[in-house]
Amino acid sequence: MSEHNSEAAISVRDLWKVFGPKPEELINSEDAKLPRAELMKKTGNTAAVVDVSFDVAPNEVFVVMGLSGSGKSTLVRCLTRLIEPTAGSVEILGEDILKVNTSRLRHLRRTKFSMVFQHFGLLPHRKVIDNIAYALEVNGVKKEARHKRAQEVIDLVGLTGYGQSYPEQLSGGMQQRVGLARALAVDPAVMFLDEPFSALDPLIRRDMQAEVIRLHKEVGKTMVFITHDLSEAMKLGDRIAIMRDGAIVQMDTPENLVAKPADAYVADFMRDIPKSHVLTLKSLARAPKPGEATDGPELDASTVIRDASPIIIQAGRPIRVASNGKPLGIVSSEDVLKLIAGEEQ
Amino acid sequence: MSTAVVNKATKIIQIRRLYLFLFVVIAWVSLATIFRGRATLALPVSENSPFNDRVGAVAAAIRAGRFENPAFIYFFNPLREIIDSAVQLVRTLIAIPVSGSIIPVVGWFGVIGIVAFIVYASSNFKFTFLAVALLLGTGVLGMWTSTMDTIAMTLTAVIFSLGIGLPLGIWAGLSDRVLTFLRPFLDLAQIVPTLVYLAPLALFFLIGAASATIATMIYSIPIVIRITALGIRGLNNSPVEASISMGSTKRQTLAKVQLPMAKQTIILGVNQTVMAALSFVVIAALIGAPGLGGPIINALTVRNVGDGFVAGLAVVLVAIMLDRSTSAAVKTKKSFVPPSADEIKRRRLNVAAMGGFAVLSIYLSRNFLWAAVWPENINTSKIVSNATNTFVDYATTTLYFLTIGFRELITIAILNPLETLLAQSPWFLTVAAIAIIALIIGGRGVAILSVILLLAIVYTGLWRDTMLTLTQVIVATLLTMIIGITVGVWIGRSQKADTAIRPFLDAGQTLPAFVYLIPMLGLFGPTRFTAIATGIVYSIPVVTKLVADGIKNVPKSMVEAAIANGSTSWQVITKVQLPASKRSLLLAANQGLIFVLAVVVIGGFVGAGGLGYLVLLGSSKPEMQGKGLSAGLAILLLGIVIDRIAQTGARRK
Ligand SMILES: Nc1ncnc2c1ncn2[C@@H]1O[C@H](COP(=O)(O)OP(=O)(O)OP(=O)(O)O)[C@@H](O)[C@H]1O
Ligand SMILES: [Mg+2]
Repeated sequence: MSEHNSEAAISVRDLWKVFGPKPEELINSEDAKLPRAELMKKTGNTAAVVDVSFDVAPNEVFVVMGLSGSGKSTLVRCLTRLIEPTAGSVEILGEDILKVNTSRLRHLRRTKFSMVFQHFGLLPHRKVIDNIAYALEVNGVKKEARHKRAQEVIDLVGLTGYGQSYPEQLSGGMQQRVGLARALAVDPAVMFLDEPFSALDPLIRRDMQAEVIRLHKEVGKTMVFITHDLSEAMKLGDRIAIMRDGAIVQMDTPENLVAKPADAYVADFMRDIPKSHVLTLKSLARAPKPGEATDGPELDASTVIRDASPIIIQAGRPIRVASNGKPLGIVSSEDVLKLIAGEEQ
Repeated sequence: MSTAVVNKATKIIQIRRLYLFLFVVIAWVSLATIFRGRATLALPVSENSPFNDRVGAVAAAIRAGRFENPAFIYFFNPLREIIDSAVQLVRTLIAIPVSGSIIPVVGWFGVIGIVAFIVYASSNFKFTFLAVALLLGTGVLGMWTSTMDTIAMTLTAVIFSLGIGLPLGIWAGLSDRVLTFLRPFLDLAQIVPTLVYLAPLALFFLIGAASATIATMIYSIPIVIRITALGIRGLNNSPVEASISMGSTKRQTLAKVQLPMAKQTIILGVNQTVMAALSFVVIAALIGAPGLGGPIINALTVRNVGDGFVAGLAVVLVAIMLDRSTSAAVKTKKSFVPPSADEIKRRRLNVAAMGGFAVLSIYLSRNFLWAAVWPENINTSKIVSNATNTFVDYATTTLYFLTIGFRELITIAILNPLETLLAQSPWFLTVAAIAIIALIIGGRGVAILSVILLLAIVYTGLWRDTMLTLTQVIVATLLTMIIGITVGVWIGRSQKADTAIRPFLDAGQTLPAFVYLIPMLGLFGPTRFTAIATGIVYSIPVVTKLVADGIKNVPKSMVEAAIANGSTSWQVITKVQLPASKRSLLLAANQGLIFVLAVVVIGGFVGAGGLGYLVLLGSSKPEMQGKGLSAGLAILLLGIVIDRIAQTGARRK
């Protein structure tokens, strides 16, 4: 087993979760590589998480994505032991989560981790404010103090005035705001979000994504964000891990995933993403051809192509690309067009 | 492509199975005709088989050890005494005189006040009015004291049942292991007919209010456990998971999340428990439960339909009252939002006022005779009884064709031939035939189990009586299914019909089976058919509801596609809706069989013969006790055979 990264907020090594009659036998075996259906037939087991390792830096938004059934929910639940992993180790904030006793684990859940669920998981018989104050309540915080804190997060997520409502009186989007507020109430160091917006309408989903970006800027949490929506992953993720049949097939920044998909599965995933929304000028920069103008405006290499294209068009000639003042080459409007046309095919 | 092949294959297998089934029946009928009357194992009613004698001896030994055997001294007797003092305490509150007085602690007017307060506090004014009116009705029928006894018995049993059943149910809801352990008992409890509980319990707890209460508890505790466990297990998992993820202890999750969310189901469980306890308390009169059951049994024994009707009507009133007042607390709307603060305030005032009325009425009932003892001159029992008997005479003479005619038709056309087949042919032929049918319907495991259980029945010496009972069960179930499917399809397809009919089904389900015997006895006289008719009436509600729900659950798109293809209504029903709800139909048949069995054996009271009659005989004649207990055992074994065959049949595709 490789060493944990002590700098990381979350550090996962060789994590396995197998459902079935004889889970241990599957660890590191050849059978684990079989497709799900065959494995089920042969051993009666489902390998939901297969030998997963990764690190999440403090304040990073780490997105996990994959098709339905690829093991995302199981993975995220293993991290806080809502599901007991079969093998491997998980370190969060320097603590070996799989070794701590139940009371320590409870303490961590009450104060350091929090989770947001796809189906919200609100308590229908409690007012919004008491839903949000729940983690504080089970931790023994006095009513006045916990309501004061709950009120702060209610305001933070834009639910001012709804504290005395019941969940069923709110729309889906507002309910998930309650879910977010509840997760923020304990001021956790790490947040786990399991497809928090999948059950919402597209428009509301967009609002909520913006909300998460805003909250992340304001409160700066380490987040593990599960989704099966690629554009959501691109929008939110500092890095994205792509899962298939329980294993991580590629893990990288959005840009690199689009530019260099590791295999056909990942490429297939990335096909629907407009490259110009993700790639930066760096990926297009080239040496000028003879006779091309080299006096266009200069842009930084990290500019996304979509944002650069109006400038390129306005300039009427190729622009210069530089990284930290060091020239990398030029990009013409033709290059941009080619990129866009290429993905239309 | 491949699914089409599979479908075709299953269809061929199904058709094969049908032919096989027909072949078996034909072979069975021909062999039965050839060997008719041989090896039927008939045992005259007054004779005991060796097994019966042995059971009788064991029973006698148990009875003899009542004051010596440590099991009695340290368990059964103390338990009986505890329960007995509890029952007597509740009875002296409302039903029987306190020693040194002629009235209970609370007289009739006080009881009215208390009931009004309780029902109002848990629901609304409408239900309060209804409950009070129904309670007054029992008084008007001249049945006040018996009614109070029945209510006292029911309440005592319910309190104990909840005290034991709720914690166990919660535990079984939380722990798989506990549920796995309890499940066989819960399943068995659903099969055992009420009549079977009584005699063995009387053996250990004597006859009287205590043993009736214990029997009632044994009957209703599984219901509490089942519904409570279901309530907790049926909860949406995400709030529970969220609670754990926020660091709740198990206890916190239970108290703050699971119990509040399962509250409605648990209240529903209380309602079911109350109704089950009531129906059991009525029949427990056979082992000395005080209350309305006694007059019913007396009336049935001397065939006085009128008197039976009066007591039965009182049971109906109590049943509706208890059902309405406990189910009123179950909210139909699935909302957790409480009423506004103003409303709560107004309601508190009303409840307080009702409480004041209750206190006043208790005071009056303890100090004034008119409020203490139900006025003697308000008693319509004679009038109602005579009117009923007059109507019965009219029905059996003038409506001859509707009642006796129908009875004879069914008896000659179905009942007699089937009885000949089952009971007049050699026992091994019948065992073999049932085993083969079990094999076809349910597979090898059930077939083997059936053979073992049937052989056990043969061993009890009560084979022929079992076959008589089985005949009645099959006929009653067939008729129930015909009616149940017809009505079920109707209300499954028409919302209007559903709205009109469902209340009657609901009401029908709350009544104790015993009560149905009375009008059936009036209409059809003391015959086998009376037991069958009672079984039908009793099981129609549950069967109809299951069928209707099955029909309703057929995906709308399937029905629409069939209509779009130009199917007639008949084609939609027979080609889409019925086949698609096959599972519900089979489940309905299974429930029908079990319900019918429970009632048919009670039919022993009204001349139905068979095992039920032997059970009753055993409880009245000491020398027949062994046979009565054996008959109870045979009923249980028969029930398991029926249930297993039907269940596995339903589970198979
Ligand atoms: N408790 C369980 N017992 C057995 N198998 C399970 C259990 N939970 C999950 N699985 C299986 O593990 C695999 C991964 O499931 P998981 O819920 O983690 O997928 P997911 O990526 O979250 O999918 P989705 O996008 O649908 O939420 C699936 O094949 C699932 O059937
Ligand atoms: Mg999931």
